Amino acid sequence: MSAYTIGYVGMTHLGLNSAVAAADKGYETVCFDPNHVLIAKLSLHELPIVEPDLPKLLEKNSGRIRFTADVNQLSLCDVVYIAPDVPTNENGQSDLSRIDTLFSQVEPVLSPYTVIVILSQVPPGFTRAKLRPGRLLHYQVETLIFGRAMERACFPERFIVGCAEPSEPLPPAFANFLQSFGCPILPMRYESAELAKISINMCLVASIGVANTMSELCEQTGADWSEIVPALKLDQRIGPFSYLSAGLGIAGGNLERDLATVCNFADQYGTDAGVVRAWMANSHHRRDWALRTLYREILSRMDEPVIAVLGLAYKQDTHSTKNSPSIALLEYLKPFSVRVFDPEVPASAAPNPQRHDSKSELEACEGADVLVVMTPWQQFAKLDPTEIAQRLRGKLVLDPYAILSAAACRVAGLNYLTLGVQP
Amino acid sequence: MITHQNAQSQKPARVVVLGAHGFIGAAICKQIEAQGIPVIALTSVEMDLAEATVVDRLASLLKPSDAVVMLAALTPDKGRDIATLMKNLALMQSVCAALEKTGCAHLVYFSSDAVYNTAVSRITEDVPASPQDLYGAMHYTREVMAHSLAKVPVLVLRPTIVYGLDDTHNSYGPNRFRRMAQKDGKITLFGSGEETRDHIHVDDIATLTVRCLLRCSTGTLNVATGTSKSFLEVAEIVAKEFNWEIEIVATPRQSPVTHRHYDVTNMIKAFPDFRFIVLEKGIARVHKQMMAAS
Repeated sequence: MSAYTIGYVGMTHLGLNSAVAAADKGYETVCFDPNHVLIAKLSLHELPIVEPDLPKLLEKNSGRIRFTADVNQLSLCDVVYIAPDVPTNENGQSDLSRIDTLFSQVEPVLSPYTVIVILSQVPPGFTRAKLRPGRLLHYQVETLIFGRAMERACFPERFIVGCAEPSEPLPPAFANFLQSFGCPILPMRYESAELAKISINMCLVASIGVANTMSELCEQTGADWSEIVPALKLDQRIGPFSYLSAGLGIAGGNLERDLATVCNFADQYGTDAGVVRAWMANSHHRRDWALRTLYREILSRMDEPVIAVLGLAYKQDTHSTKNSPSIALLEYLKPFSVRVFDPEVPASAAPNPQRHDSKSELEACEGADVLVVMTPWQQFAKLDPTEIAQRLRGKLVLDPYAILSAAACRVAGLNYLTLGVQP
Repeated sequence: MITHQNAQSQKPARVVVLGAHGFIGAAICKQIEAQGIPVIALTSVEMDLAEATVVDRLASLLKPSDAVVMLAALTPDKGRDIATLMKNLALMQSVCAALEKTGCAHLVYFSSDAVYNTAVSRITEDVPASPQDLYGAMHYTREVMAHSLAKVPVLVLRPTIVYGLDDTHNSYGPNRFRRMAQKDGKITLFGSGEETRDHIHVDDIATLTVRCLLRCSTGTLNVATGTSKSFLEVAEIVAKEFNWEIEIVATPRQSPVTHRHYDVTNMIKAFPDFRFIVLEKGIARVHKQMMAAS
């Protein structure tokens, strides 16, 4: 057990997962949120989010984790992370009011020896504006991935740390905590760290843009994007973990936030963000692949079609529907009958008046003219295409993420369409 | 992108169509009447928009509850020069002046895809207008004039190449091809007809316009099918309709090949159940009408 105590402020996705990871490293952890109801639920281990391994690790480390709505409890901490999720509006612009409020609430109760670390995603210049004489203040880049948050928090590939003066050593408690994760630590000035986070996401979006653009071209030329991706990943300049899967554009809110931030700064300073705006347009274009394909194959041909939609979350292993392609699709299917199922998101999240809330994947397929798989939940991969075919009234399956086996679907007599392959 | 002001279809009290005698205007009037909506179909005979007293006459005719469809224009076959541009702007000036006096419930302005740069191959409503000639500049200016009207909900429709029996412009594409084939037994292409374009049947234009009137849609919408075919393919489709051999003749290319594709996602979002007449069926329909008429 470590002698240091780590505090986390803001018990939403980022704060909660990070706190549990700290406890798992053996640190006493104080988790503060001013929301009494939320704290009461967390104390009973009732989690407001879905993340693989989070319930298990919370249970395992519960002796080291204290949930509290009393801000004074943070005064015991050596390091306090300010870590609320930063919400975004429909244009991807951050609402920083919550982090401002929490910072103002927490800062006065902490001693000058307590290190404050801003972990939430903030724009360049935010951290330095919070710096006061005599205050130990750092910014740390978070690289949370929805659905892999615990894995990312427990096994980071590196820490990027924003400092007022990068040449000075990190405060001992903070350095001790970071070193316990056994990964490289990269100190740099605040603004560099803040922009490093955005730069990482720009690289990811660039890869997504390549995947979107080239997979669409594959659909017209007879090439198969899934055959090309392994070749790219073996290229050392691209890499095995690059974001090259064909998908329905950018969703979830975090990448969109950075795109908006870069455009806003570029507008402010007169730098060129044309390529960023092109990525955004391309993302919006690909998001509507399912709608265009549905229109071409079903809506423009059939009276009163019934459409089965599997998946509402914006990606697998999360309950979040922020910018979800599925919800975006369903918005335009209001005139039609839809049958909806998601393992985590209630069907009521779908805005459709003619909606059947299905209790299982196969129930959703019952009597439908088409099946559209809009979230790549792994449990969908276990579906037997023969059973799908038996329940569907039609034969069409749209599976943009290729979660089902194309070959098995075709054997089952289904007309299978996915991204990156010519129909 | 367009927005429906009416959550459900609702018939306008009355529709006033300016340019009702034209190829598209006539088709729209026919479909409005078929819906049982009162329509006043105005041509330059009843309402000469170039005439000095037209503003007052039009204003006295219009009611604030009217929907107005503005198609009246001197088309490129009547002139592509600055004088024609200025006359067209004057026509729109009269309409705007009348609407400023009376207001209206909905203005549908018929623009053109000529507002887009010809070098842009993939068109969405987000592509900035960048007209390359006076005709395109005229339509874009008239769009801006329409939008300048206070408190008038405005819809701008930008149609692609329109085909149908009564087309009078005889522009390059299905209309000219069928006439060439009927008259000369051959279709002459520019180059080898490599350019791809989107062709829409006039009845589809009319149907979409009526649906926009019923929903009181506002914004800008490209009116295209989302399927582009080369002029050679179109010529082949036209040729197949004849019972005799039609020769398709290539000529030396005079200008570089350009393509134009429409991403009609916004149309799908606005009217997800709309069904276009596929080109082969549309051309067959027009062919039968032409043969019956001749």
